[in-house]
Amino acid sequence: LPQITYLESVQRALTDAMRADERVFVIGEDVGHFGGAFGVTKGLYDEFGESRVIDTPIAEEGFVGAAIGAAWMGERPVVELQFADFASCAFDPIVTLAAKTYWRTGIRIPMVIRMPSGGGIRGGPFHASSPEGWFCGTAGLKVVAPGSVADAYGLLRSAIEDDDPVLYFEHKALYRRLRDEEPDESHRVPIGKARIARSGSDVSVVTYGSGVDLALRVADAMAGEASLEVVDLRTLWPLDRDTILESVARTSRVLVLQEAARSIGVASAVCALIASEGFEQLDAPPAIHAPVDTPVPFAAELEDAYLPSSDSLERELRELLAY
Amino acid sequence: VSYSPTDAAPEPPAGSLVEPAAEAPEVPAEIRLALFRLVLLQRLVEERIMNLYRQGRIPGSVYTGRGQEAVAAGAGLALGPDDVVAPVNREMACHFARGADVSEVLRNYLGRATGPTGGRDGNMHFGSRDRNVFALVSMLGTLIPVTVGAALAFKRRGEPRVALTFFGDGTMSTGDVHEGLNLAVVLQVPAVFVMQNNGYAYSTPIARQMANTNMSERIRGGWGIPAERVDGTDALAVYASVLGAIERARDGQGPQAVEALSLRMDGHAAHDDGRYMDQEKRRTFAERFDPVERLAARLRLDGLRIDQIELLRQAAVDEVAAGLAEAEAAPAPDPTTLLDGVYATPLEGMTR
Repeated sequence: LPQITYLESVQRALTDAMRADERVFVIGEDVGHFGGAFGVTKGLYDEFGESRVIDTPIAEEGFVGAAIGAAWMGERPVVELQFADFASCAFDPIVTLAAKTYWRTGIRIPMVIRMPSGGGIRGGPFHASSPEGWFCGTAGLKVVAPGSVADAYGLLRSAIEDDDPVLYFEHKALYRRLRDEEPDESHRVPIGKARIARSGSDVSVVTYGSGVDLALRVADAMAGEASLEVVDLRTLWPLDRDTILESVARTSRVLVLQEAARSIGVASAVCALIASEGFEQLDAPPAIHAPVDTPVPFAAELEDAYLPSSDSLERELRELLAY
Repeated sequence: VSYSPTDAAPEPPAGSLVEPAAEAPEVPAEIRLALFRLVLLQRLVEERIMNLYRQGRIPGSVYTGRGQEAVAAGAGLALGPDDVVAPVNREMACHFARGADVSEVLRNYLGRATGPTGGRDGNMHFGSRDRNVFALVSMLGTLIPVTVGAALAFKRRGEPRVALTFFGDGTMSTGDVHEGLNLAVVLQVPAVFVMQNNGYAYSTPIARQMANTNMSERIRGGWGIPAERVDGTDALAVYASVLGAIERARDGQGPQAVEALSLRMDGHAAHDDGRYMDQEKRRTFAERFDPVERLAARLRLDGLRIDQIELLRQAAVDEVAAGLAEAEAAPAPDPTTLLDGVYATPLEGMTR
């Protein structure tokens, strides 16, 4: 099978979904003839035209709201926010309209918001955030984050076919770093289910997005000294509680790895779950490996120190294993 | 009651200061009668709700559209059967125009299991999936982009449908107005915006909301959207103006706006007596520009007799009484259903 990048996988999923379903359209800033800030929507305008690849004014609150209105009318819009950081501009329609409409009225809002997130490209405090934690815990939303080429495809196809609003956090540092076999058109990843990306017996690393590739590399590097189990959450909200608790039961030690700042995000929720329902399985306190509670800094020296790395992850794991 | 505008037209009662609604001969008789029912229903239901709230029988909060019923009724009735609408909180008559009955509205106020939100939301916060009515949220302005998006769907599919929403002079200060109107005009979608200029945003008069208080002028000049100004206390004038806007939007002429001038006769909500308002203006308005009485006076000039109008009033009173009885008999929601219907496609993680 041919190899494609993570970015091409997102692109293929969009193209295939638009070919499969007339109701699917793309809307956002510069997504049309320009092909999107990262080039993800390149080629869509030529194939599908301006009624299905819609360039908008710079107005996230406006076009996210408009996507909700179109979804109300039975369309399946896929919104692109240029950077996940700009979710702040669209916070109101996401949390008040997209999240609560079905619960209140039974009106379905089948929409996807694609958000390039994460650091490692020297984006600084407004182009490198991992704001998924703002939405985890918000009833009515589903939050997913692919950590592999196959999931980039399968989660996006599933998200577009889902009848609920789905926030899809694609990691921009993985766009060209990850390369793997091209997923089949029929490939889907179920929303709400985590996967064991690598089986192990000594410690569970629970992670998602860019953390998956990092954890797998560290698992290889540490293979001689410890057996790591890597749990790829895939869906960040609602959490797949069973897969997390079962993994902890197998290994008795857990480290939650995330690129979002330590106190906002998935790590707290995972640790709360394990502390309240997996406490008796543990041989050591649950560990969190995440950046400090600051915005993402710009300069290379600062960002490198801020983000988890293979060195820092190995160090944290050794501490946990020695407990 | 049926009548023809060609019947002999008696004078309105001597001593009445009420300004009859415009003659509007283009608005047919059945529409005139339907509008009268709608403005009456909103007035009577809201009066009833205010009393129930003060008696502690309705929890939460109560917002009325007293003085603005003609806007909700006229715009609501001007919509075609396949059009969609996102009313806000002073547009109860619009819900009635789209087919809601009194009981349905009151079941929402009372938080009943069989209400349109099943007790999950209250007061005017409800819509209807089947009737294509979007549900209000408290964050004003957010429904403008939603309406633009619905209109975008119609344009994409080539359907001859229109999406309409309302917003007030207070909402005019929100960013959503700019983002939504701008998107509508750039994409040239069939959206209609009915602006309720009632002079106050809660306690804040319009002059503290904007420098240029002519909203339609701002809409025309700022966003390039055609906008008419209409007397919002005259149901016939509102109906005719909004109908024209809807037909232009349907005809592919892009988004349209209508600014309806009125006065909020009550305070912002039930707890607010509006003492900060211009009381002289309030009195004058109540004497001369009450939308219900203006339409009644026009119906008299059309040829309806007093007793015929009384019959219409009584029919609305009866409709409200029956709706309230039905709503109060409806069952309360079951707390064990708290987790139901959070997702259209439920997930196993949602178990607690």
